[in-house]
Amino acid sequence: MEKAVKIRTENLCFSYNGRTILHKTSIEFAEREITAIVGPSGSGKSTFLLTLNRLWEAIPRCSLQGTVAMNFDGSFHDIYREGYPVTRLRRQVGMVFQIPNPLPMSIYRNVAFPLQLKGGLTKETIRAQVEDCLRKARLWDEVHDRLHSSALDLSGGQQQRLCIARALILQPEVLLLDEPTSALDHATAAAIEELLLELKKNCTILLVSHYLNQVTRIADTVIELHNGTLVRKGEKA
Amino acid sequence: MGEVRRLQEAGVLVFSWLCGVLLLGAVIAVIGYLFVHGWRSISLSLIFGATPPLDALLMKRHVFNGLFPAVVGTLSLIVLSVCWAIPIGMASGIYLAEYAGAGTKAFLNLFFDILAGLPSIVVGLFGFSAAIFLNRLFPGSIHPCLLISSIALAFLVLPYIIRTTQMALEGLPLSARLTALSLGASKLQNITHVLLPQSLSGIVSGVILAIGRCAEDTAVIMLTGVVASAGVPRSLFSHYEALPFYIYYISSQYTDREELATGYGAAIILLCICMVLFLTAFVIKRQVSYHALYRA
Repeated sequence: MEKAVKIRTENLCFSYNGRTILHKTSIEFAEREITAIVGPSGSGKSTFLLTLNRLWEAIPRCSLQGTVAMNFDGSFHDIYREGYPVTRLRRQVGMVFQIPNPLPMSIYRNVAFPLQLKGGLTKETIRAQVEDCLRKARLWDEVHDRLHSSALDLSGGQQQRLCIARALILQPEVLLLDEPTSALDHATAAAIEELLLELKKNCTILLVSHYLNQVTRIADTVIELHNGTLVRKGEKA
Repeated sequence: MGEVRRLQEAGVLVFSWLCGVLLLGAVIAVIGYLFVHGWRSISLSLIFGATPPLDALLMKRHVFNGLFPAVVGTLSLIVLSVCWAIPIGMASGIYLAEYAGAGTKAFLNLFFDILAGLPSIVVGLFGFSAAIFLNRLFPGSIHPCLLISSIALAFLVLPYIIRTTQMALEGLPLSARLTALSLGASKLQNITHVLLPQSLSGIVSGVILAIGRCAEDTAVIMLTGVVASAGVPRSLFSHYEALPFYIYYISSQYTDREELATGYGAAIILLCICMVLFLTAFVIKRQVSYHALYRA
C-alpha cells in the first residue's frame, strides 16, 4: 500500500550566496517514515532542511522559488503562503543542527525553553515533559542531579542529545535531523537510532547522514542530493 | 630567516608590552597626581561643611560650605541622563541591528555618526536655545534646569549606547540567531529572550562610557542650568550644582592653595562616584543576564 504523503515540494529552487543548491525539484516525503538524505559534502543537504521550516529566511543572501506543502490535520498547507504562521510551522517541524547549539542557559531551561516560548503551561507540566524528553534522548541519567547548571559545560555528545531532547519537547510532526549522532559513541548512537525508530510511529523524520551503515539500518527511503536535484535512491522492501 | 622571524615576534611582543605599560602608567600618574594633591582635603567637612552629615542626608538642614549639593546634582544628572538615553539608545540599536533595511541602515548610521561627532558645546547651545524657546512658550515656568541639562546630555551619549547595542547584536554568530527561531520563537521573542541577554556585556560597556561622559561633561551643563551655588536640587525644574563645574570654577577662580585642594578633592569624589556607578552597572548586568538566561 502506498504510504500517505507528509511533505511535497514542487519546482523548488533554492540558492544561497548566488550558488544554486536546488533546481526545480519536486519530491514527496512519506508520512511516518525515516527518509535519509545523502550526498557529497557541500552539496547543500543541511541547507535543504532549512527550506522545510523556513529557517533560511533568517539568513542573508538566500532565495527560494517554488512551493513546499505539508500535510497538517489532514490537508495540505503551502508553508510559503503569505501570512502562514511561521512560528507554528517551526513548532510542528522540529530541527536538530549538525553542530550542537545549546543556548547559554541551564540544562533544564534549554529543554523547557520552547514550551516557555509557547506559553500557557503550568510549571509542573513543563517539568514532567522536560524529564520525559531527557529520558528519551538518553541524557537524564547523566544530568538529573545538575539540571540547573550551564548547558555549555556539557560534552559535545551530551550537548547533541540535549538538542535532540529540546527538539522533542514540542512533539513535532516532522523532525529534521542533521547528522544527529556525529558526536556520539557507538552505544549512544545506537540508542538514538532506536529512539528514532520509536518516534517514527507518529513523526516524519528526515535524516541527513554520512554514515552509510546507519542509513541502511534505519532509513525507509534514501534520497541523494546531487547537482541541485534530489533523486530517490532506494526503498526498503 | 628563522632568526629574523624570531626577532620580529619578540619585537611585536616588546612593543605591545611597552604600549600597555605606557597606558597603565598614564592612568596611575593621573590618579596618583589627584590623590597626592587632593587627599589632604578629603574629609566629611569637605562634603558636608559644618552641617551634621545625617541631617544633610535626610535633607533636614542645608549644606552651605560643602560639596554635598554638587554631589547630589551630579548624581541626579548622571542617573537622569542615562535613564533617558538607555531606552531610546537600546531601541535604536535593536532597530538598526535587527529590523532596518540596508538603505535605512546606511542613512541612520551616517546620521548617528554625525551625532557622535557633535562637540558638546554645540549640544549645550542647542539645550540653551530649547530652554529659551520653552521659556517663551511657558513664560516664567521653564528656564535652564536639571531636566533640560539631562535631556541635552542624553543626546550627547545616545550614540554610544546605540552603537554598542547595535555592534553587540550584530556580533552574535548566525548559529546563535537561528537556535531560538528553529524552536518556534517569534522575532521579538528571539531578541528579548536570547539575543539581548547575550549582548548585555557589550551594551553595558556603552552604558559605562555614557556614565563617564555625563559625569565629566561641563560644556553642556554650563549652558543649560548648572550654577555655582544653588543647594540640593529640589525638583527637575530647578538649578543645580555639579562637581565638574565646581572643579572648573575652583581651578579658574581659586584664591589660595587650600581652595585649590578642595578642587582636587572634588575630582577624587567625582572619580569615586563614577566607580560606584560602574560597579552598579556591572551588578545590574549580572542580575539581568542571570534572570534572563539561568532562572528556571
